[in-house]
Amino acid sequence: MGKRITIDPITRIEGHLKIEVEVENGKVKDAWSSGTMARGFEALLLGKDPRDASYVTSRFCGVCFSVHQMASVRALDAAFGAQVPWGGTLLRNLVMGAEYIYDHLVHFYHLSALDYIDIMAIANYTGKDPELIKVKEKIVGLVQRGDTFPLTPRYKPDEFSVKDPDVVISAVKHYLDALKMQVKAKNMGVIFGGRAPHYQSIVVGGFTQYPDINQVARFRSMLDELAAFVNEVYISDVVAFGTGPLLPLAKAGIGGGHRNYLSYGSFEMDKAGKKLLFKPGVIVGLNGTKGKRVEPFKPEKITESVRYSWYKEDTPKHPYEGAQVFNLERSDAYSFVKAPRYEKIPMEVGPLARALVDQDPTVLGLIRDQGVKPGAVARHAARAIETKKIIDAMYHWCDELTAAITKPGFKIHDTAHWEPPAQGEGAGFFEPPRGALGHWIRIKDHKIANYQAVVPSTWNASPRDERGVRGQYEESLIGVPVPDPENPINVVRVIRSFDPCLACAIHLIDPKTNEIRKFMVE
Amino acid sequence: MVKSFERLSRRDFLKFCGGAAAALGLSELFTAEMIAEALESAAKKPPLIWLEGQDCAGCTISLISVENPGPASLILDKISIRYHETIMAASGHMAEKVREETIKEGGYVLVVEGAIPSADDRFCMVGGRPFREIAIETAKNAAAIIGVGACSAFGGIPRGTPTKGVPLSKVLPGKAIINLPTCPVHMDHLMGTIVYFLVTHKAPRLDKLGRPLMYFGMSVHDNCRRRGHFDEEEFLTDWNDPKQRDWCLLEKGCKGPEAYADCSIRRWNNGINFCIDAGAPCQGCSEPGFYDEYSPLYAMGPVTDRILAKKAAGLIPRKENT
Repeated sequence: MGKRITIDPITRIEGHLKIEVEVENGKVKDAWSSGTMARGFEALLLGKDPRDASYVTSRFCGVCFSVHQMASVRALDAAFGAQVPWGGTLLRNLVMGAEYIYDHLVHFYHLSALDYIDIMAIANYTGKDPELIKVKEKIVGLVQRGDTFPLTPRYKPDEFSVKDPDVVISAVKHYLDALKMQVKAKNMGVIFGGRAPHYQSIVVGGFTQYPDINQVARFRSMLDELAAFVNEVYISDVVAFGTGPLLPLAKAGIGGGHRNYLSYGSFEMDKAGKKLLFKPGVIVGLNGTKGKRVEPFKPEKITESVRYSWYKEDTPKHPYEGAQVFNLERSDAYSFVKAPRYEKIPMEVGPLARALVDQDPTVLGLIRDQGVKPGAVARHAARAIETKKIIDAMYHWCDELTAAITKPGFKIHDTAHWEPPAQGEGAGFFEPPRGALGHWIRIKDHKIANYQAVVPSTWNASPRDERGVRGQYEESLIGVPVPDPENPINVVRVIRSFDPCLACAIHLIDPKTNEIRKFMVE
Repeated sequence: MVKSFERLSRRDFLKFCGGAAAALGLSELFTAEMIAEALESAAKKPPLIWLEGQDCAGCTISLISVENPGPASLILDKISIRYHETIMAASGHMAEKVREETIKEGGYVLVVEGAIPSADDRFCMVGGRPFREIAIETAKNAAAIIGVGACSAFGGIPRGTPTKGVPLSKVLPGKAIINLPTCPVHMDHLMGTIVYFLVTHKAPRLDKLGRPLMYFGMSVHDNCRRRGHFDEEEFLTDWNDPKQRDWCLLEKGCKGPEAYADCSIRRWNNGINFCIDAGAPCQGCSEPGFYDEYSPLYAMGPVTDRILAKKAAGLIPRKENT
């Protein structure tokens, strides 16, 4: 029996997450991932005006803000029969693009980077760059005054930590610069989004802000500044980290887990909606047992298991066929997160899954030519690479919007389908920064009769399923080196590489409405 | 004495204080010199503990959306962030230990984001303990307690869920709490309230619901630029029609006349935009009834009917919240 280590709370993530690992001979032998907070939004929505859903579900999460608004309006669009005009789609894509840039910058610099650098190495900087000297003075000043919160306390840096003073000091400078850049990205999104976090202008049928040319120009000029930062700073930092001390972690594929990948596909590039920025698809067993072919994504293959979750015991069900009633007394349950499976198989979702499903040449190049294996380091790389990809798409959407605005009959909203139908159902799929997100709605008597969401961190953070198969966080921790049980820094590195978002991941249904809901998604 | 701002030049520092005063709506109350003096005379950076209960971290993201003073100076120079799950380097026991030590030290500002489940403690556990207990324990030696966002101030969205989320005031009876509702908290409201406290060591003047009057003293409707169209009963019905672009959003469910907050003049995200200017109705997120009593959000309903009845009776004059 190995030593059991509990990390609770896991910080620098969204939400409340507990990770337990069993360490034997300096390596993780087993792992358990637990979501420890629940709210129960879906129950609140029953009987409400369906249009409320996009506003309320946006509040699933304020870090990856408005991604649920997007999945929700897509489900509502389908249920209402709304045809979103190209202008409305472009505006939705632009504000979500801004959210991506903010989100990925915050994840890399502010949530993850502290795991990879020995920040105190700054004291050894001997260079002459006046900007960097200012950073050195700032950090050394904090140390001298005896108050280095919130940068300390921390896990001890290890052999994989970046200690080169020149690299560390520029990384810390970029941490500070990125704080400004993430404000700028939100400001940019707010030009059309109204406010952030939680945009206001995404509604069923399209968008509420009728844009003008000046706003597009302002958006574009802010995008120029952000694009420069992403291309010149963010991507080169990820490369510098990945090819430096982290290379052994990258090549060993630490944190790889099951290596099954799912992407729903997202972001229309043309009016017909035929060409998508990210293609949908599924890859099972990249290790080679079942081949590496990208299979088409089929929504009906999704089921959710509650075998080890604090819900009433049930067989695995499609998100709409099951009734999830919580049960806090089950002694073998250990999480509020359910266990979604695709054809009974656990999946990884997020930037790495998107890149692999999309067969992104840059990410495939890292794997083929640099010997990087899919895992924690590759996740950071895929995230940076797709930030550039989405910025390029945003320029395209700005051009399209500028052209569309000046034409007569420019539309942002399908007003003919604004009123809720008497009956209807719809599924909304979207790829937010953290990966595959689905919302399902059923409408009866113009009101919400059922609402369900299966979100990215539910896929990644899930506990074991009824067959005892671990979730992706859990599996990705197996074999991770933990030479010192007091300093499980590799555990948090692997977990944070997924960009956990636990508030999103946990939903539950009111026990009082314990009805079996039958619902088929086409 | 150790000065927290010794690394800044005097000129830069006064510029920061003046900018902060203007940006946060404090310039009528304090001069830049007053803010400078208060911050300089502090023996150390004021410690801050930020707890997250049934939250979405949206208020945290709002906190790091202020341009001036920017988040970098906030996190490293202005306050000593001892505990904040989303920002701090430490995890697990190490994180909890810092919180315990800061409580012992006392004199910190406590910010709470998110509601607290009243149906069962197990709906929100941190470090293996009920969040409710952690909130009570951490409030013990706080110099000021701020409930940020609709959830912490009034229960917000979690209030209507099976977990029965309650506001901070319910688990800390008898404690003075400054409520900063809206969903999420307005970044200026939060920064301004913290600066106000650092300068005066007191809470700003509050209304009956614990909201600072300097930010919640007027209704969203009072200074809405669509107000003329409300008076003329020109209500937007089609977002595609450029002619209707600035018409009143009442028919789309706007709750502005019932919502007390300075959004119409302050706007959001460094003044760039706000809900109503983006063509989206005000949903009254500053009020205790948010969300469930304000449904339907995007249609006429009991709230907008009440507003129209008041309008017909001539009862929607400009008035101050006291």
